Amino acid sequence: MKNKLFIFFISCLGILSSVKAGTIKVVTTTTDLKSITELIGGNKVSVSSIATGYQNPHFVDPKPSYIIGLSKADLFVTVGLDLETGWSPQLVASSRNTKIQKGAAGYVDASIGIGLLQVPTSANRAEGDIHIYGNPHYWLDPLNGKVIARNIANGLERIDPSNKSIYEANLQAFYKKIEDKMKEWKAKMAPFKGSKIIAYHNEWVYFETRFGLDVVDFMEPKPGIPPSPSQLVKVIKEIKADNIKVIISSPYFTTSSSDVVSKQTGAKELTLATSVGGFESIKNYFDLFDYDINQLTTVLK
Amino acid sequence: MKWKNALYHLSLVITVLLSEMSFAQVPADSTAADSILLKQIEQQMQSGIQPAPQQARSSLSFNPDIGVIGDFQGSYISKEKRNFNAYLNETEVSLQATVDPYIRADFFLSFSRDPETGKYGAEVEEGYLTTLSLPAQLQLKLGKFREAVGRINPTHPHALPFIDLPNAYVNYFGDEGLNDEGLSLSWLLPNKKFYQELIFQATSGLSESPSFFRGDNNRFIYLGHLKNFFTLSDNSTLELGFTGITGPNDSSRTTNIGSADLTFKWKPVKMNTYKSLTWQNEFYFSRANLLDSFSINSFGMYSFLQYQLAKRWFLTGRYDYAQKPYDKKIVEQAYSLTAGWYATEFSKIELEGKTTNDNIDKRFYQAWLRWIFVIGTHGAHQY
Repeated sequence: MKNKLFIFFISCLGILSSVKAGTIKVVTTTTDLKSITELIGGNKVSVSSIATGYQNPHFVDPKPSYIIGLSKADLFVTVGLDLETGWSPQLVASSRNTKIQKGAAGYVDASIGIGLLQVPTSANRAEGDIHIYGNPHYWLDPLNGKVIARNIANGLERIDPSNKSIYEANLQAFYKKIEDKMKEWKAKMAPFKGSKIIAYHNEWVYFETRFGLDVVDFMEPKPGIPPSPSQLVKVIKEIKADNIKVIISSPYFTTSSSDVVSKQTGAKELTLATSVGGFESIKNYFDLFDYDINQLTTVLK
Repeated sequence: MKWKNALYHLSLVITVLLSEMSFAQVPADSTAADSILLKQIEQQMQSGIQPAPQQARSSLSFNPDIGVIGDFQGSYISKEKRNFNAYLNETEVSLQATVDPYIRADFFLSFSRDPETGKYGAEVEEGYLTTLSLPAQLQLKLGKFREAVGRINPTHPHALPFIDLPNAYVNYFGDEGLNDEGLSLSWLLPNKKFYQELIFQATSGLSESPSFFRGDNNRFIYLGHLKNFFTLSDNSTLELGFTGITGPNDSSRTTNIGSADLTFKWKPVKMNTYKSLTWQNEFYFSRANLLDSFSINSFGMYSFLQYQLAKRWFLTGRYDYAQKPYDKKIVEQAYSLTAGWYATEFSKIELEGKTTNDNIDKRFYQAWLRWIFVIGTHGAHQY
């Protein structure tokens, strides 16, 4: 234990000394926001993310240690809606950092201006973990990445107007790259337009809409409710009736129920990344879609 | 019939146009812009996409966030004539909002049942303001609040992983805990290696607690707490806290309590909703000065181990050791086991069995069943 503590202290010192003086310190809730902030901020920013890419963004544990980074941050970027409601508001409040409180110049809600899907007409928890502002997994549409990037650039320009031209140039480069990559991704997905799939949790609607997939049902009977035997029976029937080839899931869900369905039907289980860092090879926002689309097209062939 | 249909379509387009214009995203000054607008509307109507509201997405009124927590219990005790009981133990109403750019307010109103009379009474469990913008990493709390004694006292009982409270804790602070009126100043230490927070609290002592008593004079209860939090790895953390409390007792003299808390948590980042383990301990030392040359020292502690078996199942075993603060020769020892089924974030069912033994009475057994249910605002997770 002593050894571990020592290693931890040393690594902390290492991280601290690697932060260049004069850079803008940014804390993001998720790795996708971190990646986009790095692409827009370039060498003007040092960015850290609270959540890792392989963890359920609804259920991040609000460890007090995150407060240290937040207390020193110049900019805080959140996915918003109510994705992080259980953990990020209290961490930001405990940071005592007035620069990053909601409404301050250093607070960026990346969801501003996003065209939201699945906005409920009533708020009723009988429907499970529904999100009252709409489905919050919007970063899984690459074109929404452009809106996120615009919001982040706005935030950086608010607190660091002297480097506005750099952020604007990086933003245009990001737009261009998204548009170029989008052509490639769309072309790859085109043969599979309308493909029916099963998903574990309702977090793919933006990806599905953008790339023309059809998520027929979920392993969870309702969002946030673990798969029940009756739901599995229903899903098995649907897979057989529609000849569905794949069940997609995320790194932070168990595969036990998908295993059962897969065995019964022959449908393939596929764990896709929902965020940058979900798998080791996914280093940035573009890698995320490269990875998922490569995986999907291989299985759907 | 045709014109009716056309009129209907026209009115639909006008309505959508008007609502779209209120978002002020598009310049409304040229016909070219209008045709672009129409195209956008068509697209949106087809895709079912709704534009994000430009307003901040909190409730559009200034009402505070409201939550209501119900705590229904059934209980059994072996040593009394009336063994079984069932009751709505508590209804807690929380009201929380930011007051202005400088402070926020939190109120927790409790409608709870007196175990002696069975009658329900209303009280302010907590009601305090917290500053948002003090300099030098300071935060001030003012009002009535659960004080910063270790890990159990600041936690509302419905959020604990067991139904009864540890014997030592009840002996020193009572069933309601040390929950008093005054001010609390907390300082986030500028320590970059690990999290360190120092809290100082001064309270009136008017609230009931077995250890402290507000007399006729102007003596207050003072409390200091140092919280140290270490990240051992991505998956495990350690918290070590020290608390010192001094205040007047019912003999108009001073009682001093020192306590230490140690918590180890293992929670794999990737599968943190399925598996976890918590080992939590608190140790209390009390010195009650009762006469000029007579004081009683006593000691108490608890230790619990909580293991998450599956997404919804938790098992918690606890050991209590408690010397009675008024007579340290009387020693209580208890073992308890609690099984919890957490249906969702908004309801859980727990069953606890406990056996208690002290060196004067016969061993006795207790059991509780409770169902916690929450409506309204999504509460903050705890760590």
